Amino acid sequence: MDWDQFDLNPKVIAALKKADIKSIKEVLNLSGADLQRLMKLSSADVECLLKTVSRTLRKNCMLTALQLYQDKDCFSSQCQKLSLGCSVLDDLLKGGIPLVGITELAGESSAGKTQIGLQLCLCVQYPYRYGGLESGAVYICTEDAFPSKRLHQLIAQQHKLRADVPPEIIQKIRFGNSIFVEHAADLDTFHNCITKKLSLLLTRGMVRLVVIDSIAALFRCEFGASESVLKARYLQTFGAQLHGLSTRFRTPIMCINQVTDAVSESEAVQYGYRIQDIPYEIHTCRNLYWFLYSTAESRVFPALGITWANQLLMRLMVSRVPQPETTPGAVSHHPASLRTLRVVFAPHLPPSSCCYTVRLEGVKGIKFLDEMTVNTICNKCHLFWGEMNGTSELDFFHCCNQQ
Amino acid sequence: MQRDVGSLPLSPALRARLLAAGFQTAQELLETGPCGLSKEIGISKEEALEALQVVRQECAGDAAKAAGGSGSTRKCTALELLEEEQAQGFIITFCSALDNILGGGVQLTKITEICGAPGVGKTQLCMQLAVDVQIPECFGGVAGEAVFIDTEGSFMVDRAADIATACVRHCQLIAEAHQEDDHLKALETFSLESILSHIYYFRCRDYIELLAQVYLLPDFLSEHSKVRLVVIDGIAFPFRHDFEDLSLRTRLLNGLAQQLIIIANDHKSAVVLTNQMTTRFGQNQSVLVPALGESWGHAATVRLIFHWDNTQRLATLYKSPSQKESTIPYNITVRKWDHIPRLFRSCDAAVQPSLCSCQTDGFS
Repeated sequence: MDWDQFDLNPKVIAALKKADIKSIKEVLNLSGADLQRLMKLSSADVECLLKTVSRTLRKNCMLTALQLYQDKDCFSSQCQKLSLGCSVLDDLLKGGIPLVGITELAGESSAGKTQIGLQLCLCVQYPYRYGGLESGAVYICTEDAFPSKRLHQLIAQQHKLRADVPPEIIQKIRFGNSIFVEHAADLDTFHNCITKKLSLLLTRGMVRLVVIDSIAALFRCEFGASESVLKARYLQTFGAQLHGLSTRFRTPIMCINQVTDAVSESEAVQYGYRIQDIPYEIHTCRNLYWFLYSTAESRVFPALGITWANQLLMRLMVSRVPQPETTPGAVSHHPASLRTLRVVFAPHLPPSSCCYTVRLEGVKGIKFLDEMTVNTICNKCHLFWGEMNGTSELDFFHCCNQQ
Repeated sequence: MQRDVGSLPLSPALRARLLAAGFQTAQELLETGPCGLSKEIGISKEEALEALQVVRQECAGDAAKAAGGSGSTRKCTALELLEEEQAQGFIITFCSALDNILGGGVQLTKITEICGAPGVGKTQLCMQLAVDVQIPECFGGVAGEAVFIDTEGSFMVDRAADIATACVRHCQLIAEAHQEDDHLKALETFSLESILSHIYYFRCRDYIELLAQVYLLPDFLSEHSKVRLVVIDGIAFPFRHDFEDLSLRTRLLNGLAQQLIIIANDHKSAVVLTNQMTTRFGQNQSVLVPALGESWGHAATVRLIFHWDNTQRLATLYKSPSQKESTIPYNITVRKWDHIPRLFRSCDAAVQPSLCSCQTDGFS
């Protein structure tokens, strides 16, 4: 550190060099009294030094909230988000995934997490005006092999999923070329991947999305019950590294997480997950199936505990809707299996959810009637109802059988 | 500051040079700065700095004498302190239950800490306070400005804009009900744009930037004297990784706490910090406790812990010098943080059959 370029008293500069203090970090790590002792300076000099050093580190850092708010067109605007490729899902998330911060997607197996991850890898490659970031993605697999066959299916069907994008633009994008797949089955490989390969790709501007599938798999086998402190330290370090990369390069990080069963109600409740026995019943009326599904979690909550939850900006949960039993005499529809995407917490979103299905071309949300808001949840059984607009093969209603 | 150069206690040769160069008052000397001064009168930079230090001390001494103070310590009686404290403003949150348990609202000149699990509403309350601090005095507010230091990146300006719009509407409703002139006059300058323009936002990406920002805060608050609230959203986040040496962390946190206490007192502002929760393993069970250790617990004057009870969010006043420990239920509505009236406590399901939407819809 070249202290001569700072606007400091030459005697302070000489003392800094003599005490072998080499960086701003070392200066700020020492308290005022320590600096006085170390450099044999007066308290006024030390205060001046601290202020000068702080000013150098933090010049031009202030923004007013109004500047942030009005900054809508700028590249660094907060309202810019990564679209999910479906307008219903984007509406739920008020635009999509925020660009800075770690977003978690948790859910049971086969709920559709990998599908959403793959869809994001394709969405990020579209131009800005179609919700993308004009860049590639890194997909880090920690458990299974990368589903490349499914990826090619999705690429082939992009024109069907993204009807809002002109086909000539879709034709021009070389989707497969910009997705970098990494396999990291243990913590050391993962650490290497983040610190070396990921930083390189981000610095070169080749990727602007990181999907980690899944973060839980790295931690669940390696640590025994007694090593929770070590596990927590790793989680915090990784979380901080990912957060740092996300902030520096304005790149969304999507971590896919598994779920674990709640051992006891009090344990789950601590983290805000409500456990209830949800009674559901199927009725038929007017030749339609009536489905009931709940917005409250059944008996699972995301793995890795509160240490990981503290690192997150936003948490989403996906789950499958319980399948109805067929009632005799009714018109039999075979519904596509329905899933729900729920916002558990986010600084800018209320707790809300929507349904989606996984089709050949990708993940598509299902829209409800406008008057369906959180307020129409029955407070007793936590069920809500809705109906799909337009032409669709599914209509579902709810009837609470509690009098 | 208007002191004549000739009367300053500098060496005669230096004084002669200053007068020859055309300097007449101490103010001009201070404005020129050391580099300019050394160039103008041909002395070394070090001598110029020492001369300016002497000038500053003299001026400070003059100001202290003029104010009647007796140097750096101030003596006053407990009665004066009591009167001062009672006259102290509170930042109201418009959530009456929370204001009640806090004894009127978030108190100025004190540090309030908000702890809770992720997703419970800490950042929401901070954003609401940053808006509520700006409420004009005729509506019961302190008409101040806010500094928001964000370490986690969770400040979403669209959400802050929603809260600000709701607050303006709330004040408009009050003004319509009361129809007083000063209410209407205050509303002219109380708008979404003015509220957002008085929230000063700083983004600190690690603990070094946070420490640097806090060193610069006193000067910033002196320049922006209307600031009455400093929010640090996420005091725990930068300090919970990257530290092999926990004693260094404790020392840095203690230093930070001391600086914040001085800032709160000197500039008559409230300091609000948010903290994470961590698990502590007891003998038979594990409990959630605020992060950053036991010694950090002494830093804040008032501690609020947010937690869940089944589906209901609760706020507990855990530590306060003047209020007793109590818990209230709260909700976060689309517009802002709100308390819920007693009837609608959702743990008390029997009270609300009429809320069940299915019955009103008439399905068989």
